[in-house]
Amino acid sequence: MGPRHGHAIAKMIEFNSEDVLQVEQGSLYPALHRLIKRGWISAEEGTSENNRRAKFYKLTTKGRRQLAVETSKWDKLAGAIARILRPVEEEGK
Amino acid sequence: MSRRRRMLEDLDRDICEHIAIETQENIERGMSPDEARTSALRKFGNVTRVKEETREVWSFSWFERFWVDVSFGIRALWKHPGFAIVAILTLALGIGANTAIFSVVEGVVLAALPYPHPDRLVMVLESRPSVKQISISYPDFQDWQHGSRSFEHMAALTDRSYDLTGPGTSDHLAGMEVSSGFFATLGVNLTLGHEFAPSEDRPNGGQTVVISDRLWKDRFASNPAVLGKAVTLDGTDFTIIGVLPPKFRLWTEVDVYTSLGQGEPLLYRDRTAHSVVCIGRLKPGVSIGEAQEELETVQSNLDRLYPTADRNLGINIEPLKQSIVGDVGGTLLLLLGAVGIVLLIACTNVASLSLARSASRTREFAIRSALGASRARMVRQLMTESVLLALIGGLLGSIVANLEVRLLLAKFPEIVPRSQNVHLNIPVLLFAFGISLVVGVLFGLAPASDGSSVDVQGSLKAGERGFTRAHPRAQSILVIVQMALTVMLLVGFGLLLRTILQLWNVNPGFDRQHVITFKVGLSPSLTTTASSTRTAYRQLLGRIREIPGVQAADFTNVVPLSDHDNGGPFWVGAQQSTAMQDAPHALYFETGPEYLQAMQIPLLRGRFFTRADDSDSEPVVVIDSVLAQAYFPHKDPVGELITVAHWRTARVIGVVGHVRHWGLGDAGTYNPSQIYISFYQISDEWVPAFARDLSVAIRTPLDVSTIMPAIKDAVYGTGKDQPIYNVETMQQIASDSMSSQRLPMILLGAFAGLALLLASVGVYGVLSYSVSQRIQEIGIRMALGAERRDVLRMIIGQGLRLAVAGVILGAGGALLLTRLLSSFSRLLYGVRANDPVTFTAVSFVLVCVSILACYLPARRASRVNPMVALKYE
Repeated sequence: MGPRHGHAIAKMIEFNSEDVLQVEQGSLYPALHRLIKRGWISAEEGTSENNRRAKFYKLTTKGRRQLAVETSKWDKLAGAIARILRPVEEEGK
Repeated sequence: MSRRRRMLEDLDRDICEHIAIETQENIERGMSPDEARTSALRKFGNVTRVKEETREVWSFSWFERFWVDVSFGIRALWKHPGFAIVAILTLALGIGANTAIFSVVEGVVLAALPYPHPDRLVMVLESRPSVKQISISYPDFQDWQHGSRSFEHMAALTDRSYDLTGPGTSDHLAGMEVSSGFFATLGVNLTLGHEFAPSEDRPNGGQTVVISDRLWKDRFASNPAVLGKAVTLDGTDFTIIGVLPPKFRLWTEVDVYTSLGQGEPLLYRDRTAHSVVCIGRLKPGVSIGEAQEELETVQSNLDRLYPTADRNLGINIEPLKQSIVGDVGGTLLLLLGAVGIVLLIACTNVASLSLARSASRTREFAIRSALGASRARMVRQLMTESVLLALIGGLLGSIVANLEVRLLLAKFPEIVPRSQNVHLNIPVLLFAFGISLVVGVLFGLAPASDGSSVDVQGSLKAGERGFTRAHPRAQSILVIVQMALTVMLLVGFGLLLRTILQLWNVNPGFDRQHVITFKVGLSPSLTTTASSTRTAYRQLLGRIREIPGVQAADFTNVVPLSDHDNGGPFWVGAQQSTAMQDAPHALYFETGPEYLQAMQIPLLRGRFFTRADDSDSEPVVVIDSVLAQAYFPHKDPVGELITVAHWRTARVIGVVGHVRHWGLGDAGTYNPSQIYISFYQISDEWVPAFARDLSVAIRTPLDVSTIMPAIKDAVYGTGKDQPIYNVETMQQIASDSMSSQRLPMILLGAFAGLALLLASVGVYGVLSYSVSQRIQEIGIRMALGAERRDVLRMIIGQGLRLAVAGVILGAGGALLLTRLLSSFSRLLYGVRANDPVTFTAVSFVLVCVSILACYLPARRASRVNPMVALKYE
């Protein structure tokens, strides 16, 4: 995944989750900034499709590593929950 | 911070852009522009909250929360400026006084000496069984230098002043004779040139001098080509071989350094003349104990080699800093303790004030607590406020401290050693900051622990006035503590004051009124030989005696009470009947015929010197009553013989009264015997050495400013190259001899006064608060028939009970404290540490002041109109 600006990221979350995760788009920004502060993503200047300047966010190496850790943690947890709860219910959180 | 700003700067822009793209997409999906924008905004959520939350990600949250506390604190204090001002001023006084004293302690006692590896620098002296430290002889020093391996460098030195007659106007300069390696021992690099080479540090090594930066500036305009030029000292041209860096000094400021090896051979070849001191730089890793052991071995070898010299001398080595600072450290620590007490009182005052204030803020805290503020949050708020007050007070106090210290040292520049080293530097500022913090927390604790535990319902119901009955007990305890601490300070001050008064009333053995002493540097052209020197002095005195208003005038080499030591051995009879180190010692005064008259020392038997006692007549001495009593107990000493070391056998012609030379309160244990010798009978070879020490003492009813012009005319009449210096009245000298008591007395007095003021403000505050609380009760009492007098008595009685409790507690504390005071040697004189007069006087003063402080609130209470008071609710 290359660098994306905020709106594109929001769209992608909505699209990839098949519109299940419908959060207020605004809440993305504090989250992005938290990730920047931890050094998991970085931001750089770019040009949006409207030809205006905007910040583009990109995973850092550290962030990629963290993603792997979190993903495996989540998989474990999700697997465990899935095993406990049958039939599977999807819960957005 | 900059990353934070950068990240947040673009946030607005990115959010706008986000919404613009979303709107665009909505339009493309077929919405109308208005609809598209509304929908985009809805989907985005609350823009302001998003911004806030994002900002919070980057905020230094503790710092910003702290800042909120501070700004709230400032607003809260601003609303009660009276409280804030009183608290800040009180704390500024307390913290300022502490910072001032600490800056002196830091600069004098704590700070390291300004030389490289100062911990390896030591002072090496000799000792006798009876005296811990005595000067050493130059030959001993030279043998130590050759015989010891503990030292990297060693150097001998002694004070020696010079009359400078060129270039420029003639002046008297402080100087030092130092051996080669003196500056290397200290590790001082010269600005220009080099110090004395060993070849220059011996007789006939060429007259060379190292000068101070000040002299270089004043006399040579800091000319870099000064090396090789000459300064004329005591009539001899000395070639400048080095210039010292600015501010260099060992003890006091010294302008010229000459080589010791070329100094007075009579003194420096004599193994029995203890005329120099020695500093050394220990080799790395060598302890003082090891060095001492080694030097003692060297010294005992010397005893075997030179059996006729002083024997059985011990070695005394102490760190150079300790030697320079001396016993001032104890006094300074005492003062630091005293000023700490003042701070405690200031603290209790502010604590008591904020207790009163927190009582009136109970409602505020109840409301905040009802609105969900946690207890911790409110404690933090109160703490922030008190620390804020303390820090403002501390800042103000540091400025005050700076002024105080300047004032103090301007008034007493020489009273503490190393006074030039006292600044408001980083450690001092840290100290001020530290105690401000501690003080803030300390006096914040009381109201915080109290104000935060609020009974919400009770307080909110408590009616319009917004306060409940506050903490009479806590405040009373604070007042009692203040009183007790004040008593302790006042007693300390009282004892020192009594000491000074006692000392001032001591009869020193002479009449210190109407005596002026000064020194004159006679022109080198007049003092080429011993006999011309004698003549020059005789003529000088003759001219001075002719001045109208001069009743008597003569020389002395030792001015009483000046601390000048001129001790030496003597033997009763015509022989040196024992070895030198076993002979008794006396203090020698070399004077002339009119000295007794000038000083008004009583003549008890026989006669004093006359003009006829000169180098051609029989050698004579006059002894004092102490020597007469000790060595001629059952016979008339007049006509007996005394043999004076380094001089000859002389006949006793008279007995005079004993003079207290070693201090007005001197107990007479150190060298109490005194011998007078006529200056005109001193052997030729000793004349130059003694002439340097001569002071003129004149008796005149006129004051210094009136008589000195005439004296200057008389002195300058024979040559302008004769500086007059050290002009002092005997009263000044006597007063200076009490300096070890005077400085602590003045400061303790100031601190005690401050404490008294603060404590009476404390009593006043507590009582007026209590009166305002009891106004209804008083109204009822008066409505029921109480007289004004009764109310007055009741309120004053309330204050007085506190004062008396404080006095009793304080007297107990003072008894402990003054035991400490009397353990400082020579601090107290003529009073015991539990002096009943002092204790009574202090108690009386304190009770009177408390009655005064109680009177205003009591009067207010007695003027209460019962009708108004009862309607007050």
